[in-house]
Amino acid sequence: MDVIEAVGLGKRYGRKWGLRDCTLSVPAGCVTGLVGPNGSGKTTLLSLAVGMIRPTAGTVRVAGETAGSLAARDLTAFVAQDAPLYQNLPVRDMLRVARNLNVRWDQDRAVSRLDGLGIPLKQRVGALSGGQKAQLALTIALARRPELLVLDEPLAALDPLARADFVKSVREAVAADQISAVFSTHVVAELEQVADYLIVLGRGTVLLSGTTAELTAAHGGQSPEQVILSALRENAEHAQGQAQGVAR
Amino acid sequence: MTAAAIPSRRERAAARPVPWTRLTWVAWRQHRAALAGAAALLGAIGAYLAYTGWEIHRAYDAYTACVPASMRVQPLGGLVMGGPRACLPAARAFFSYYGSGQGSVLKSGLNAQTIPFLLLAVPVLLGAFVGGPVLARELESGTFRFAWTQGAGRVRQAAARLVPLAVVLTAAACGLSALFSWYIGSFVQAGVTGKYPMQLFGDMGTDFAAWTLFSFALTAFAGVLLRRTVPAMAASIVVLTALDVVTIMALRQHYAAPVVVTGDGPTGNTNLVLGNWFTTTSGVPVSQDTVLNAFARLPFGVTPSTAMLADHHWLQWWSYQPASRWWQFQLTEGGWLLAASLLLIAGTVLLIRRRPA
Repeated sequence: MDVIEAVGLGKRYGRKWGLRDCTLSVPAGCVTGLVGPNGSGKTTLLSLAVGMIRPTAGTVRVAGETAGSLAARDLTAFVAQDAPLYQNLPVRDMLRVARNLNVRWDQDRAVSRLDGLGIPLKQRVGALSGGQKAQLALTIALARRPELLVLDEPLAALDPLARADFVKSVREAVAADQISAVFSTHVVAELEQVADYLIVLGRGTVLLSGTTAELTAAHGGQSPEQVILSALRENAEHAQGQAQGVAR
Repeated sequence: MTAAAIPSRRERAAARPVPWTRLTWVAWRQHRAALAGAAALLGAIGAYLAYTGWEIHRAYDAYTACVPASMRVQPLGGLVMGGPRACLPAARAFFSYYGSGQGSVLKSGLNAQTIPFLLLAVPVLLGAFVGGPVLARELESGTFRFAWTQGAGRVRQAAARLVPLAVVLTAAACGLSALFSWYIGSFVQAGVTGKYPMQLFGDMGTDFAAWTLFSFALTAFAGVLLRRTVPAMAASIVVLTALDVVTIMALRQHYAAPVVVTGDGPTGNTNLVLGNWFTTTSGVPVSQDTVLNAFARLPFGVTPSTAMLADHHWLQWWSYQPASRWWQFQLTEGGWLLAASLLLIAGTVLLIRRRPA
């Protein structure tokens, strides 16, 4: 069973396609890394999956439900890039807002998790550190008891220590709740420590996908990092060749 | 490890929409500061109107107790303070609240003549300041990516913000408008002013509340269109002011075909006079200059009487909206503003649905 299924998925912004003819499956029950350079369509794909935008072409289903539907929204928790939350609210009220925006909500879990992290409920969200804010966003996402956790560039704004803590938190939650997580990243290093499954996007299409072990095995024992880089390089050269072909 | 994670669709409880009451709480939490600001503004204005209105009513009671009804202000002749000499202080005290008469008891320029003009700005500003941030702040700060992906969904959230805020603002505006009507009531009763002049028309009846609602809806819409709070407020205030001026200058008088009469014309200052002109008895137009030249010795500002015109076989014509149509006019303007506001609110929700980011 796949937690995300995209078939012929495309999204056009004006004349430019942000994602084109994308067919992919994200397996359930693991942490999936969506890897690709800036502009490769990662955020577009995730936005389509969480129902933020509607596809121009094709379909995307989340946990078996049409993305963006009431049922799919209920089962999908999204942490957007830079973890946007209401800066002016105290953490307590931020939780209350989130609780009132969802039918599924586990208040005890949210409170005990924040307690464990040492994030005081009366602190204003705007006064939290970057790492704390990311953890608060993750706490809110997990309190929704989702089947799918979607994270857009969750590590980009974090320092190395906060990054390690955050990755640990996600992995623990995925294991404990038996849920699936998908995160996007443009950082290739140490991916095998974070993700069980990798999908490599280049210019709006899927270049590679598979478990880290599969990718390594299929490419003569190269590390996932090397496999990804060579795939991206090949893709970029191909694009360049095409552009030159057009120019001629 | 993959198969067990997702229960089949049958096992899941069917997803339920988030109840409106909970979404309304979120709207309240997000906007309570703006609402407190609005309440403070309206409260301050209300307190002033209540206190001054009470003083005016006392002064009016003293004036009417002293001066017999037949000797009070004759509207056509301006503010003539008739009555026994002993009543002069009472009359003076009452009219000074209107900023007229010598020895005004008011030190500031604020009086019942200037306050209505200032109040005309309230609906525009109130609607803009509450309506601007409703959705635009979410869009400009990026928190829409949090809010719109919660279980409640963006359409319900947008509606749960726009509708309660619109209702609360409109109700508050109705309250202030009712208070103003009471405040100015003595001067209307005394025949000092009619209710058609723009500064009274816009602050009374349903007009004040309707413009407040429209301002709110327009600014919320502009906020989603421009995706910025402050530019949306600025744009909305400019558009609203222009529309307000056009309505006052060119639109309002056409809500009903005017009454056209010949002869002495409408009496009193309660009607909305649109124009007067002269013709011969056979209907050929006669210019105003010709008529005035014929009666060159009349004092300035005094129009020739019907009898004097009859000697020249001329007729004077009047076109006006009678005082009895005032509520019809209020409801006409309130009606189109309400319809436009509902369209704008629906359009705002639709924009959020179609173009969330």
